Amino acid sequence: MVDPRIYEMFRDIGRDLFTSNMISSHGGNLSVRLGDRVVIKRRGAMLGNLKPHDLIETRLDKNDSGVALASTELLVHRTVYMSTPALAICHCHPRTAIAFSLSRDELVPIDNEASYLLKKIPVVTEEFASGTPEMAKKVANALKNYKIIMLRGHGSFATGQTLDEAFHWSSTLEESCQIELATKLINEPFIEYRKMSESYNKF
Amino acid sequence: MTGWNEKILDVDLTTQTYKTYPLDMEMARLFIGGRGLGARLLWDLVGPEVDPLSPENVLIFTNGPLTATGYQTSNRFSVTTKSPLTGTVLDANSGGFWGMQFKKAGYDVMIVRGKAEKPVWIEIKNDVITFHDASDLWGMRVFALTEKLGQNNNKRNVLCIGPAGENLSRIASIMNDRERALARGGPGAVMGSKNLKAIVVEGKDRTQIDDPERFKFLLYETRKLLAASPLTSQALPEFGTVVLMNIMNNIGALATRNHQQTQFEGAEAISGEELTEKYLVKNSSCWACPIGCTRISKTEKVEGEGPEFESTWAFGAQCGIDDLPAIIEANSLCNDLGLDTISAGSTIACGMELSEKGYMDADLRFGRADQLAPVLEAMAYRRDIGSDLADGSLRLATKYGHPELSMSAKGMEMPAYDPRGMQGQGLLYATSNRGGCHMRGNMVGPEVLGLPKLIDRFQVQGKSSFVILHQNVSAAIDSLVVCKFTNMGVADEYFARVLSSVTGIHYDTGEMTRVGERVWNLERLYNLREGFSMKDDTLPPRLLNEAPADGPSQGWVVQLEPMLKEYYRGRVWDENGIPKKQKLEELGLASLI
Amino acid sequence: MPLVKLYANLRNIAGTKELSITGASLGQALSELVRQCPALDGLILENGQIRPHFVITINGLNAIDLDAVVTEQDMIAIFPPIAGGQSNPHPLPLSLWESGTPFPHRGKGWG
Repeated sequence: MVDPRIYEMFRDIGRDLFTSNMISSHGGNLSVRLGDRVVIKRRGAMLGNLKPHDLIETRLDKNDSGVALASTELLVHRTVYMSTPALAICHCHPRTAIAFSLSRDELVPIDNEASYLLKKIPVVTEEFASGTPEMAKKVANALKNYKIIMLRGHGSFATGQTLDEAFHWSSTLEESCQIELATKLINEPFIEYRKMSESYNKF
Repeated sequence: MTGWNEKILDVDLTTQTYKTYPLDMEMARLFIGGRGLGARLLWDLVGPEVDPLSPENVLIFTNGPLTATGYQTSNRFSVTTKSPLTGTVLDANSGGFWGMQFKKAGYDVMIVRGKAEKPVWIEIKNDVITFHDASDLWGMRVFALTEKLGQNNNKRNVLCIGPAGENLSRIASIMNDRERALARGGPGAVMGSKNLKAIVVEGKDRTQIDDPERFKFLLYETRKLLAASPLTSQALPEFGTVVLMNIMNNIGALATRNHQQTQFEGAEAISGEELTEKYLVKNSSCWACPIGCTRISKTEKVEGEGPEFESTWAFGAQCGIDDLPAIIEANSLCNDLGLDTISAGSTIACGMELSEKGYMDADLRFGRADQLAPVLEAMAYRRDIGSDLADGSLRLATKYGHPELSMSAKGMEMPAYDPRGMQGQGLLYATSNRGGCHMRGNMVGPEVLGLPKLIDRFQVQGKSSFVILHQNVSAAIDSLVVCKFTNMGVADEYFARVLSSVTGIHYDTGEMTRVGERVWNLERLYNLREGFSMKDDTLPPRLLNEAPADGPSQGWVVQLEPMLKEYYRGRVWDENGIPKKQKLEELGLASLI
Repeated sequence: MPLVKLYANLRNIAGTKELSITGASLGQALSELVRQCPALDGLILENGQIRPHFVITINGLNAIDLDAVVTEQDMIAIFPPIAGGQSNPHPLPLSLWESGTPFPHRGKGWG
C-alpha cells in the first residue's frame, strides 16, 4: 500500500488528465521514481478514478511487487528512468497532438506558452507501439533531449522532477495543438509575433 | 577548433619554465572543462602519497568551452587541487573576469607544479609567459596588490593570495578581480606553499563558435527566460543572495551559534532587506551576466563587494552577531586577507563555543561583533589565538579535546542551511565530495523555494533521488563552466544545446547530466583512493542526535542512515558506498581503476 | 490576533513589515490583508489561488491550502518572488510508508 499523499497526487493528476480529455477511461499512465523504486498505476485501473490499491510499487530494475502489472508500459517507464534524469513520467493520449503526429515528424508550437516552454516536440514511430524493448528504447532516447515527445498515433510521454511538472508539459502541448487546429479552421495568414521563431525547429 | 582552445599551459615553478601542449580532446569530450576536466587531470597528477602543501601537489586552473563566448555568465572558472583542509579532491569556482581573460589568452588549462625558491608572480599575455620576482610583493594584501599589478576588469586581470595564503592557513582563499573568490578548502594555502603570489593575465583571442545562428537563438531565449524569472530578474538583483536570511530563519533552518539553534533572533537585522535599505550602494555583476546579484555595500569603514548570504550568516547568526556593519567589514577584511568567509566565520563560532564552555582558554564569546576583525587578522598572520583558528574548526576543536563541536563534514565547515530543517541538504553535506558544501547540489531550490516544484523538506524517503539529480546537474554546470544562478531561470536542456552549438559536438540533456554523473563518480574514486570511506559520509553528532528545542524544525534530527542507504543504491554503489563496476563501465571510468 | 509578516519588496508595496489581521483560515487572512493594504491587491492571489511564485509559511511550515486553519497565535510569513520559473506551491509528498509527519505541517499542536 502506497502512502496516502502519494496516492492523492496520482489521483488528482489522473483525474485532471481524464476530465481534460487527455486520456480515455483506461488509457495513459503516471509513475514516479523514489530512490531505486518506482510507483506506477496497476493494469486495468482507471487514471480518472484511482483507488489506493491501484498503485504498485516495485524495484527500478525488475518487478518485485508480486503483482502482474499489465503495464506493458512499465518497461518504457523503467527504461526512461534508467537512461534519463527523470523523476516522474506522465504518459497520456492528447487527442489533438496525436492527430498532428500522424502527419508530421515534429510539432513546433505557434502559441506563446508552448513556444516558450517547449519549443519543439519530436515524433517517434514504432510499429507495435506497446511495451516492446524497441519502443522503450526509442522513447527513452528521445526523452534524453526533450522533456516531452510524441509516439506517433499513440500519445505523449513527458518527464519532470515531479508529476505535476510532467503533467504541465502534457497539458501545455495539448492546448498548443488545439490552438493550431483552430488556426487551420480560421485559415487566415499567420502573423508572426515572436522573435527568432524560425529557430524553434532547430531546438 | 571551436569552444575549447585545445591547449594546456604547464608551468613548473621549481625551474621557472613552462611548456604548452594540446588538450586531449577525447578527455575534453567526456569531462568538458572546469571542474570535470580538473578532476580528471588531478587523478593523473596527484596521488595519495602527496601532501597538499608539498611541491608535488598541483593547482589546475580550468575554464570551459563556453567561457568567454558571451553566453550569459560565461565568465566562471575553476581551480582543482588536493585540499589542505580536507585531504579530498577540491575544486573551487569563481566568477568575475579572470576566467574570461584566461580563455582569451588562448588556454583551456593551466597546471602549476613545484615550488619557487623565492616568491614569484606569473604574467600571461597569450604566448608570452613571464616569471617575475615577487619578493617585494610578498606580504601585500589583496586589494593593494590587485591595484598595483594593474587590474583592469576587461583587459588585465589579477588573481592572487593575501597574507592568509602566504601563511598557509588551511582556509585561505585565492582571490581574483579584487573581491571574487576561489574560496573553499584552502586553495590559497596551496598557492602560498608554492611561493606563488599572483597570476596576471591579458588575452586577445576570441572563442570560436561552431553554429553561431543557433547560439544566437539560445542566447536570446536565455535572456528572455532570465528576465521572466522573478528570482533572477528581481529578487537577486534587488536584494542579493542575502534575501535568503529571513526565509531560512522563518522556516527554522538557519544554523545559529555553531548550530546550537536553528533560528536566530537577530536575523532581521542581518537580512537582505536590511542590507538593501541601509548599506547597499548598488548592485553589480560579473562579465556577461544580466542577473547582477553582486552587492556593493558601504559602511563607515569600508566599501566593496559583498556580503553574500553565506558570509553574512557565518559572521552573523553562526557567531550570534546581529551587527550588520561589523559583518560587512569582516567580509571585506576576509577578501583583503584572502580567507574563506564561511570557514572563517564557522571556525570563530566553534572557538566561541569552546571558549564559553571552558574547553579553550580564550575570551571568544558569541555576539561579540568587536572580536571579528582582530581575530581575523590574527588568523591570517597566525598570531596568538589566530594560530589555533587558522586551520579550520576541526583542527581547532580536536586540539581542545572536542572534535564533535566542529560543524564540518569531511573537515569542511558547513554553510548556513541547517539540515535539521532540510533533510535533503543533510544528505548533500554528508556525501559532497569536497566536504560540507552546499554548492554541489543545493537543495534549497526544491526544499525551500519550490524550484522547480516544492517538495517536503522533512520527508526522508525518496529524497535521495533529488539529491543525486541535483549533484549531477551541478557537476555538469561546473564543468561548462557557467554560473548556477542561470539554472534558476534556465533549464538544463538549454545548457546542453548551448554546449552543442558552441562545440559542434552533440550533447543532449541526458548526456550532459551523464557528464555530471561521471565527474561525481570520478571525484568519489579519488577520495576512495585517498583513503576516505563510507564512515566519512557523515555529519557532526549534534545534527544526528540533538534536535532543536523549538521552532518549526523542533524535534527533528537528520535521518542520515536511511537516506544514505537509498542514496548508495540510487547511485549504483555498493552498500559501502563504492561505485559498482557496471556503473563505472557505463561512465567510461572503469579503465581508471 | 494572527500576525502577517511581509518580506522583500512586499514591504515597500504594503508600506509596512507586519500587521495583525483577523481570519480563521489562510484565505480569510489574505483577504483581510489586502483589505488593509489595497496596494497588495492582485499580487498574492490570482483566480482564488496563491500565485506560483510566492512562498507562504504558517509558523515556519509551508502553507499551500487556502483552507488551512489559522489560529490566534499563528504567524503567517509571505515571501514574494524569491522562487522563479514554473514553481508551484503544491509540495510533493514522497514517503511510501505511513505518514510520519503530516504535510503541509501545522507545527505545534499536532499529536
